[in-house]
Amino acid sequence: MSQFLQPTILLLREGTDTSQGRAQIVSNINAVQAVADVVKSTLGPRGMDKMIQTGPKVTISNDGATILNLLEVVHPAARVLVDIAKSQDDEVGDGTTSTTLLAAELLKEAKPFIEEGIHPQIVIQGYRKALELALEKLEGFSINISRDSPEDKRNTLLKCAQTALNSKLLANTKQFFSELVVSAVEKLDPNILDRDLIGIKNVTGGSVTDSFLVDGVAFKKTFSYAGFEQQPKRFENPKICLLNLELELKSEKENAEIRIEKPEEYQQIVDAEWALIYEKLETIVKAGAQIVLSKLPIGDLATQYFADRNIFCAGRVAQEDLLRVQKATGGQVQTTVNGLNPETFGTCGLFEEVQVGAERYNLFKNCPQSRTATIVLRGGAEQFIQEAERSLNDAIMIVRRCFKANKIVAGGGAIELELSRYLRHYARSVTGKTQYIVNSYAKALEVIPRTIAENAGLNSIEIMNKLRQRHAQGGDEGRWYGVDINGQSGVCDTHSSFVWEPSLVKRNALCSATEAACAILSIDETVKNPKSDQDTKMKPKGQPGRPPMGMRR
Amino acid sequence: MSLAFDDYGRPYIILREQGSKKRMKGLEAYKSNILAAKAIANTLSSSLGPKGMDKMLVSPDGDVSVTNDGATIVEKMEIQHPTAKLLVELSQSQDAEIGDGTTGVVVLAGKLLEQALTLLDKGIHPLKISDGFDRACDVAIKHLENISEEIDIQANEHEALIQAACTALGSKVVSKRKRELGKIAVTAVLDVADLGRKDVNLDLIKIQTKTGGSVEDTRLISGILIDKDMSHPQMVKEVNDAKICLLTCPFEPPKPKTKHNINISSAEDYKKLYLQEQQYFVDMVKLVKDSGANIALCQWGFDDEANHLLLQNNLPAVRWVSGTDVELIAMATGARIIPRFQEITPEKLGKAGSVKEVQFGTSNERMLVIENCQCTKAVTILIRGGSQMIVDEAKRSIHDAICVIRNLIKDNRIVYGGGSAELACAIQVLQYADEVSSVEQYAIRSFADALEGIPSCLADNCGLNPITSVAQAKARQLQENNHRIGIDCMELGTTDMKEQRIYETLSSKKQQIQLATQVVKMILKIDDVIAPDDY
Repeated sequence: MSQFLQPTILLLREGTDTSQGRAQIVSNINAVQAVADVVKSTLGPRGMDKMIQTGPKVTISNDGATILNLLEVVHPAARVLVDIAKSQDDEVGDGTTSTTLLAAELLKEAKPFIEEGIHPQIVIQGYRKALELALEKLEGFSINISRDSPEDKRNTLLKCAQTALNSKLLANTKQFFSELVVSAVEKLDPNILDRDLIGIKNVTGGSVTDSFLVDGVAFKKTFSYAGFEQQPKRFENPKICLLNLELELKSEKENAEIRIEKPEEYQQIVDAEWALIYEKLETIVKAGAQIVLSKLPIGDLATQYFADRNIFCAGRVAQEDLLRVQKATGGQVQTTVNGLNPETFGTCGLFEEVQVGAERYNLFKNCPQSRTATIVLRGGAEQFIQEAERSLNDAIMIVRRCFKANKIVAGGGAIELELSRYLRHYARSVTGKTQYIVNSYAKALEVIPRTIAENAGLNSIEIMNKLRQRHAQGGDEGRWYGVDINGQSGVCDTHSSFVWEPSLVKRNALCSATEAACAILSIDETVKNPKSDQDTKMKPKGQPGRPPMGMRR
Repeated sequence: MSLAFDDYGRPYIILREQGSKKRMKGLEAYKSNILAAKAIANTLSSSLGPKGMDKMLVSPDGDVSVTNDGATIVEKMEIQHPTAKLLVELSQSQDAEIGDGTTGVVVLAGKLLEQALTLLDKGIHPLKISDGFDRACDVAIKHLENISEEIDIQANEHEALIQAACTALGSKVVSKRKRELGKIAVTAVLDVADLGRKDVNLDLIKIQTKTGGSVEDTRLISGILIDKDMSHPQMVKEVNDAKICLLTCPFEPPKPKTKHNINISSAEDYKKLYLQEQQYFVDMVKLVKDSGANIALCQWGFDDEANHLLLQNNLPAVRWVSGTDVELIAMATGARIIPRFQEITPEKLGKAGSVKEVQFGTSNERMLVIENCQCTKAVTILIRGGSQMIVDEAKRSIHDAICVIRNLIKDNRIVYGGGSAELACAIQVLQYADEVSSVEQYAIRSFADALEGIPSCLADNCGLNPITSVAQAKARQLQENNHRIGIDCMELGTTDMKEQRIYETLSSKKQQIQLATQVVKMILKIDDVIAPDDY
């Protein structure tokens, strides 16, 4: 705090760092740029993956939110980006990279204004105004998809899923997976569309196209005791009993103690314990259950007891799996066997234990109330499947969103360019500083098509010129021109080549990116308390510290 | 690593502990990834083929294993590098899915990456390369299906199966005895196979190893072998027409699971207790005996008191039989597992032709053989060999052979080995490449080159000149339009693999090419590596 004149007035505790003013805003913007640069190359169908090693774990991903999360960003301003990526992920599930890039680009455009001394609030106001206009226009531009016939609707969903999968590892098999995803979502209750009811199970080995959808529930064979192999492994229309109950010979109460006075009583105690467990087992058998699933262990005694009576059992079924079995089969999870009756049992068309790769899986198919589906993913390496799972997750979220909202826009940067064109046009009609700012907003929007083109190894300047020209011609014809990574010219009508996205994704991306940019612009002072952050390496800027190790490279 | 610098050249602190993190980007990242993965592939490439060499791996505890099996080698190498680890998983997933061809898949991936590296140097976008590989892979797979032949697994006493098993065993240390071992493996699989459903549960084949003797002594037991002996040395060593009682309760006075205390206040009570305990033993033995059982197998132990009683009652017994063995025995003999003495009934007993204790060599170790079971649904392969290492390797080899046979039962289409199938695909892919007008053409052509890498690697390992022999084979394939021409690794004088009877399953070959392509695509898609800077 050398700038304080004598006598020093100590306002803050020693070691507290403050930095403020215009320099602080600019420095924050720079930090945000750096983070956005990391995810920049993942955007678009030719986007690349990142490999991030954290401890012994290695993640390979293309998903913006996942990457940002694994980077462990600590810079306070840059963290805002991580948060908006996450919120985009939670809200719509896809478009995390574009949101991040957009926010960073908006800030980059704002930087010259700040440096020239325009008050940040004016920039913020301008951006807000631009956002408002953009959203309004987005609504107007988006296309209503006819959903008169189920085929049309399904087609739309397929297209949207494919667009989401475009940039992922699964791009080459997107047809296959979009079918899978759409069929899975269609299984859900259309009013709720609970994402948790679509299970994704990973089994290494096999080709990705060996993945399949189970119309019902599937889970890995649980740990089993001797006698399990003697149980039947296939049922048609079985009665399924769901329990949250331990079926084992054990002490009924912890810490209980029995005092026996006479040796004869000894046998009675032993018998009593056996009677307890047998009573439970008998009740289950009497009620007519054919499959017994429990969240808690089913011991060897019970396993053998069931085996003798042609009943299949599985203990230690994971909570989420049990929940999905419950939803699918219409059964109810019981915590006691008292009052067990056939009404609490679920049922399904077919139960089977099958071999998938090196694992055995329990499949419950053709469930009557099938409100759940399971995707069994196959693939070469663990990381591959994990990334595939994340990609499918994105696609599922998109399809879910699309299921409800029936408005779409064309991807490939087309909608951003169209909005940009409109904003530029509008800017000419206003006076004052706002004109510049709205113009900047329009320019920032162009980052999406530009990055897509750059990542695809195309000449981005040439492509952007072509696209601007197309859009400037106006009318419906030029409206949906976007980056084409396959063709010769580099541009095409992305609407007619079915690069479709729900307009909701864009809406949310625009909102959160603008909000984040405004939030960062409005910070003009950072006060960092040394105690609150133990990490001594994290020094605020403006303070000469010891040269960081990072200088080496 | 630092992502950004301010106007004075000072780095921003953006990431946690960013000083200790390392970042590689772009071409640097591709190259380092490819080189790491290639290093693994190179290690394995000398193990490929019938004349492939073995690796000796010493674990941190000093355990030595000598093996030729790709999946085992990479697993024991304990690889750290993240990209190289992908290849390890590749090999393991081939192992899990197919069981054989674990070396081939890694070598192929290595060759593909090698080709990708040259393409990257030419300045081709990595995703274009992977697109090309993908298209080439589809062509290769389609061609494989075209050239595959269906075989009749039943014909000529399962000759085809035996040949396929021999091919799998050909590259292993036991190759001298491949015919005998192949037969054993085929019989074992057929015994447990459900030919109607085309399903084989490999859990029903138990592979037991025992050091001593030689590999020739390896035999198939149509029943179960357990590494246990009778609980008392004076018990009879052989029981014919055995009625087996499988128990999961100990020959001990029952104990309540609830915590309990016994307070004895007088001498009489003590005596009573003692007598009661004695009575338990007598009752138990009597219950077993009454059911008609003439041998008892128990999952738990029993003390000398019970042991003595069993001997007196002439009831041979075995203790501490493991849970999986109990299950296998139950399946094989049709026994039900009995959790409580009170529940023993004659129907629950399992039946076997004979149960006998066998001794090996001069050692004092004995094993129990349960043969001619009521429903032979479980078999055991007893592997013998000079040393632990040989036995272990033989076990892995037989596992490979069993997997091959299982795959053939599932899908009876084969392709010919010796690199012929790869060569045929390479030729096909090359033809296809010329039809593609975009940049992918280069990648597709490289894919063909990579496929040729397999026969060339085979030839190299056999001491042949790789370039000449591959060129010759390729030329002959084209001239004679015969896709069965491969590398004559065994120097039998013919390069027609049909005459050499080198069979490989279509499913394994398909899987190899698909998995290798998949992983290579994944590696090529990574343009940024962020890792702790400690190695």
